[in-house]
Amino acid sequence: MTLYIVEADCISCGDCLPVCPTDSITEGSIVFKIDKKTCTECEGDFDVPQCVKVCPIDNCILPLEAA
Amino acid sequence: MNSQNTLTRELALRIGLAARALPDTDAKRLLTLLTAAIGSPLTDAKLASLDLPTLKTVLIGIDDSDLSRTLYILKQTTEEMDVNDPVLQAYVEGDMPNSVRIACASSDAVLVDGHFGTCPQFYIYQVSATAVRLIAVRNAVLPEGLDVEDKNVYRAELLQDCNVLYIASVGGPAAAKIVRLGIHPMKQSSIQPIATLIEQLQQVIAGTPPPWLAKAMGVNVVHRFHFDHTDDVDNELERDLEATG
Repeated sequence: MTLYIVEADCISCGDCLPVCPTDSITEGSIVFKIDKKTCTECEGDFDVPQCVKVCPIDNCILPLEAA
Repeated sequence: MNSQNTLTRELALRIGLAARALPDTDAKRLLTLLTAAIGSPLTDAKLASLDLPTLKTVLIGIDDSDLSRTLYILKQTTEEMDVNDPVLQAYVEGDMPNSVRIACASSDAVLVDGHFGTCPQFYIYQVSATAVRLIAVRNAVLPEGLDVEDKNVYRAELLQDCNVLYIASVGGPAAAKIVRLGIHPMKQSSIQPIATLIEQLQQVIAGTPPPWLAKAMGVNVVHRFHFDHTDDVDNELERDLEATG
């Protein structure tokens, strides 16, 4: 279970970076990205994913369903 | 504001334009330098007597040609400038491929000097890498008798068709309302001429625009980044495609 950032919508504001409890967010070469190996969707830390909570853009951070 | 800091609007405008003629100098810095050269307050009369050698004492290491251009702009009177009466240009949807629509909060059609919540009007431009058209000037003042729940939502809705909004200042809650309508607010750290910001935007459009801007331009984002990403990003892009259909 992990979230991902929709590249076409991310405005690279960086608001999500400091709120991630697992430090899974980094600034990629194009936009910010979430490390799918370490993202927990904030389970165990918060009730709601913190990046989704602070992201100013609707539907920019979405759950990545298992392939 | 005390009288020491008061500039006439025309004078402020000229200083803003003159700063554009100089490398690495914004209006604020030029204002400081001019005050150092001829003393406060700055007046038309004092500027009229400003000469090149005096200007040189505060603007060190700048080409003579840039300096004379700066001096020329500073000394121009408003009658000679012909900038305050912008002419609208016709625009039909689709006229300018790969363009974005921007709104500028401005009191004079020259500088982005407006606060989002109080500026009297927004100047709307359509901008592509090679062309610019002023397509509308929208009055932002609430019509007499109209009762709206939230003035800032009313203002943001005036700009709903714009992709980017340039303002000199905006409050946090208002910025959130702007973003919610899909408009990207760009607050400037200093007061800049609209023309400068448009030039910068054109360079971004012509170069590698960030994905959100490319999307606004109608460019297919996925194809644009085909070269420079790892498998990991590729997978994410595929997900994006699935997610957006």
